Amino acid sequence: MKFKTFAAFVGPSLFLMFLFIAAPLVSVFIGSFQLTQPVLEQVEEETCTPGFVTQTCTTTMVTRPILDEFGEIQTTTEWVGWTNYTRVLDPEATWAAISNWDWNALMQVDFWAALRFTLMFTLVTLPLVIGVGLAIALAVNNAAKSIKGPIIFVSLLPFIITPVIGALSIRWLFIGDGILTSALEAWLDQDIAMFAQAWTIELMMLFYRVWHVAPFAFVIFYAGLQTVNQDTLESAIIDGASRWDRLRFVVVPHLMPLIVFIALIHLMDTYRVFEEIVGFTSQAHVISLQWLTYDFLQPDDAGNRAFGRASASAMLTMVGIVFLLIPLLRRTWRDHHGGSH
Amino acid sequence: MKLKTILMAGALSAVASMAYADCAVDNEVELRSLTAAFEAWNAVTAAWEECGNFQAELNQEFRTVQPEAFAANPSLYQIGGVSNGTITPLLNQGTIRPLDDLVEMYGQNLRPNQLIRINGEIMAIAMMVNTQHLMYRADILEDLGIDVPTTWDEVLAAAEVIQEAGVVDYPLGATLKSGWNIAQDFNNMFLGYGGTFVNDDGTPNVNTEAGVNALGTMMAMTEYLDPEYLVSDSTYVQQQFQQGSIAMANLWASRAAAMDDEAESQVVGMVNMAAAPLAMEGGAPATTLWWDGIVIAANISDEEAAAAFQVAMEGLDREMVEANNDAAIWLVEGYQAGRLSEGAIATASAQPAPASYPSTSQMGLMHTALGNELPAFFTGEVSAEEALAAVEAAYTTSAQEAGILE
Amino acid sequence: MSDTPRALRQPLSLRLGSAGFLAFWCLIAAFPIFWIGVMSFKAPVDAFASNPLDVIFGPATRDGGDGLSLLDIVIGLAFLFFSIRYAMTWLPKMVAQHSPGGQMIAGWIIAAVGYAVAFVIGFFVILPFVLGLLNPILGPLGNPIVGLTTQHYEAVWVENQFYNNFTNSLIVTVGVVTVSLTVGTLAGYGLARSGSNLAFWILIIALVFRALPHSVLVAGYLPVFVNSAEILRPFLGDAAPTLYGQPWAVIAVLVSINQPFTIWMLRSFFQNIPNELDEAARVDGCTHFQAFRWVIMPVMWPGVITTGLFSFLLAYNDFLVTSLLLDQSNQTMVPAIAGYFNRETTTTDQVEAVAAAVSITAPLFLLVMIFQRQIVSGLTAGAVKG
Repeated sequence: MKFKTFAAFVGPSLFLMFLFIAAPLVSVFIGSFQLTQPVLEQVEEETCTPGFVTQTCTTTMVTRPILDEFGEIQTTTEWVGWTNYTRVLDPEATWAAISNWDWNALMQVDFWAALRFTLMFTLVTLPLVIGVGLAIALAVNNAAKSIKGPIIFVSLLPFIITPVIGALSIRWLFIGDGILTSALEAWLDQDIAMFAQAWTIELMMLFYRVWHVAPFAFVIFYAGLQTVNQDTLESAIIDGASRWDRLRFVVVPHLMPLIVFIALIHLMDTYRVFEEIVGFTSQAHVISLQWLTYDFLQPDDAGNRAFGRASASAMLTMVGIVFLLIPLLRRTWRDHHGGSH
Repeated sequence: MKLKTILMAGALSAVASMAYADCAVDNEVELRSLTAAFEAWNAVTAAWEECGNFQAELNQEFRTVQPEAFAANPSLYQIGGVSNGTITPLLNQGTIRPLDDLVEMYGQNLRPNQLIRINGEIMAIAMMVNTQHLMYRADILEDLGIDVPTTWDEVLAAAEVIQEAGVVDYPLGATLKSGWNIAQDFNNMFLGYGGTFVNDDGTPNVNTEAGVNALGTMMAMTEYLDPEYLVSDSTYVQQQFQQGSIAMANLWASRAAAMDDEAESQVVGMVNMAAAPLAMEGGAPATTLWWDGIVIAANISDEEAAAAFQVAMEGLDREMVEANNDAAIWLVEGYQAGRLSEGAIATASAQPAPASYPSTSQMGLMHTALGNELPAFFTGEVSAEEALAAVEAAYTTSAQEAGILE
Repeated sequence: MSDTPRALRQPLSLRLGSAGFLAFWCLIAAFPIFWIGVMSFKAPVDAFASNPLDVIFGPATRDGGDGLSLLDIVIGLAFLFFSIRYAMTWLPKMVAQHSPGGQMIAGWIIAAVGYAVAFVIGFFVILPFVLGLLNPILGPLGNPIVGLTTQHYEAVWVENQFYNNFTNSLIVTVGVVTVSLTVGTLAGYGLARSGSNLAFWILIIALVFRALPHSVLVAGYLPVFVNSAEILRPFLGDAAPTLYGQPWAVIAVLVSINQPFTIWMLRSFFQNIPNELDEAARVDGCTHFQAFRWVIMPVMWPGVITTGLFSFLLAYNDFLVTSLLLDQSNQTMVPAIAGYFNRETTTTDQVEAVAAAVSITAPLFLLVMIFQRQIVSGLTAGAVKG
């Protein structure tokens, strides 16, 4: 294919990705080394605010930005090197915690707490999603033909449902005296508060994510099972392989590329875990990397946003993603140069 | 869901759209507003829409958009809804206009109390006040022979008695959801103990006796709370009240009407309001005063501003207040203070009076720092001093970033 | 089953275990969704009751005068059952018969929408009307036993005009799916047929883009979108649009964010189509574009439909982008629902939000029902081999 033709085919897609992904990304990268501040002045201001009947007026010194001739806030932008990064990573506190072997102190630095949860979440859900997905796929494949359709339908529901709503629907089952909490209380005969401590919240988040993603793994594996080579299976039977052996030596190897595919998609998606934090209001106990960036960007009442730190934490998150992706990148490179599709 | 009710609903909405007649001004300029989305704003924006050519946008996350939208030229909205917290970025950017001329021409019905003046210029028109104050189950307190508590010590003592009597699931409720809510509860208590958030040079000042006392009292409260308090926001506490599972809480005045809502509440008429308790003898009630009101954008033509202001006045009139009397503690003429507003009025007129929530950039940063760092104290990971030190460190970092501190 | 080889026949324990596991999974998969469905029909006091039986039977709702009698339940369930039956059996036949070849998709869309409208009218208007007449006549059979109210649905759809949000969702979703597939198939084809290093690096970069946390990007859009009129004025004069609140701007953003996944997926489909096919077409004198349009596309439909479904889900379910970049008048359904929670809510607001949540799940149900076989066969045909 000539370069010109190739460019014509790929052009529109590249243009969109450049405009809405690459360009913002470059600005985030640059922003992570910059600090933009308004030029401020201290002014004395008298403010009168209402009571129920009369006003109270107070005079205080307040900080106001200086406006330029166009009525815009005057700002200064300077290169600050790694300052934004050190503010996110807090190396001083980190070293102090590490040299004292003080895990608790390390977890007081938000970035490490977020990284810990993000990695734990990613690595724990990964085998669960693959395992549950595979189990459902095998069971459905095994089921009578007449009920396959309805079962696939029901199984796909958790995957297609809007994530925000899925998370809320699970939250309602547990929060306060939600019915499942009540049921657990009746069963275990003790008072249970699912949202009161970190581990129960983490458990619910893990459950939600597996519930939400396992159907995706299931449908991919199920599609894969339809293409298992029947001859290989039969010859395995003739060789006297047990059911378990056949699964292990024929089916799973056949599904291996799919397992890798699911694992990668799952790594990428779970690494940016975010909805769970919001949906289960877990920020008091656990936070994730994307939530950290989001939180830096949320303006407070006075309109302040921590753009510098948000950019830095975004770039650090990206570095993590690239690390996670290296195995896949190598495989793709081999495929690409093996080239015989 | 009978056919009849559907037809009825259709007929009702037809009536609603014919109600233009209720609006005295005949608005011909395309106008848009961006406000928060609670009950009082629903009432006010509905009245604005009656004037025609008006599109109201209600969004509880309005603060993520409002500063940018008002900074655009022309501004995307003519009218903005603000509180004493969220007016700060608009003042900083200079994107709202002084209203003195407009008030003089069209604001005959405004009370002097409603005019928010900054350096003598009217920058906003307040419509309501809000505050957190004590709500309590009058029936329970009476049964157990407890006087209405006026200090936090009395609240805790009363909670102990209620706990022993075992009449409700949890004696207390509190809006301690991590983030904005828990920080606000700390603010109340901290001011109640006479603390000041920042020094004159802008450095933080919360790791003090007042700060430790405030956290101590809050921690003492948690014994009587639903253990899930770190996810409990105002709606959650309101529901706990409505379902009869708590007996007392320091809750927003704007939530009072929900207690008497027969469709939701199982405790209609049983919840009374009193002034916010004192944290220490001789101090102000441990709470802050808030106002909500409107501003007019600067980056619009004078004609648009005049039209917007007239429409705004139309929504803030006696008629609207009379129709929605219990939706808020209105500052507008025609408001009838009733049983539900007793607590808020007692709070606002206490001597010494509670502080108004300070609308400064510093306070915004402090609020965020508190909201992020305090939960670690309540989960038991750090001590009160460590938590407050972490708050000061977080504040210092973000203040340096914002250019407020060197 | 009789001709299954002996060794493939399953011992009873395995079959029971497998069936038990499936039943358990289906329960877990469906329960939370079923439960919000139940909640949405109850008065607020019942919906958030801690006793599950109260939630199901809704005593407070029943006392409020809204309830279903035994007769209502039996007839309602029968109606539901037959609607689903017909959707599964009769509808596909009708579509196959009446839609001209090649227009199957359009036929399906029209049939699905028509069927859904007929169902809504039948179930929510005609049936209640008929039952309203029957119930008083039948005495004890007609007495309400289960509390059930649709007041929240009325509030959502009639008072709060949720249909506006529905239309907006429809615009955004259709836009995203169309543009995404058009742009994506072109790129996917180009990438699949080019062995150059450039193609490889584009794919790798797309993969990294796919992994990016969205909040990183999205926050950067807001100031630009809000000020776009000012920024673009030098180029476009007074016609410069404010992008904030424009559905097509959101469509562009969502398409871009979704591009990496789309091109990867479509590329793997294209790779499974033998190269000889387009080479043969090229020998016959077609250009690359003609070969693509007339030879490759016709065999690509399974892949395109599967990819399209994923685009649909992304656009339909998106919250981050739509909530930030659309204003009230153009808001889609998901941020509109979140709005119910974000404001200072009452319990009634929350149940209304539940009703809205159930409403937006219904089209997804329909979609899966229709395209279920497509998803599996599409994945079998393409993506799972790549």
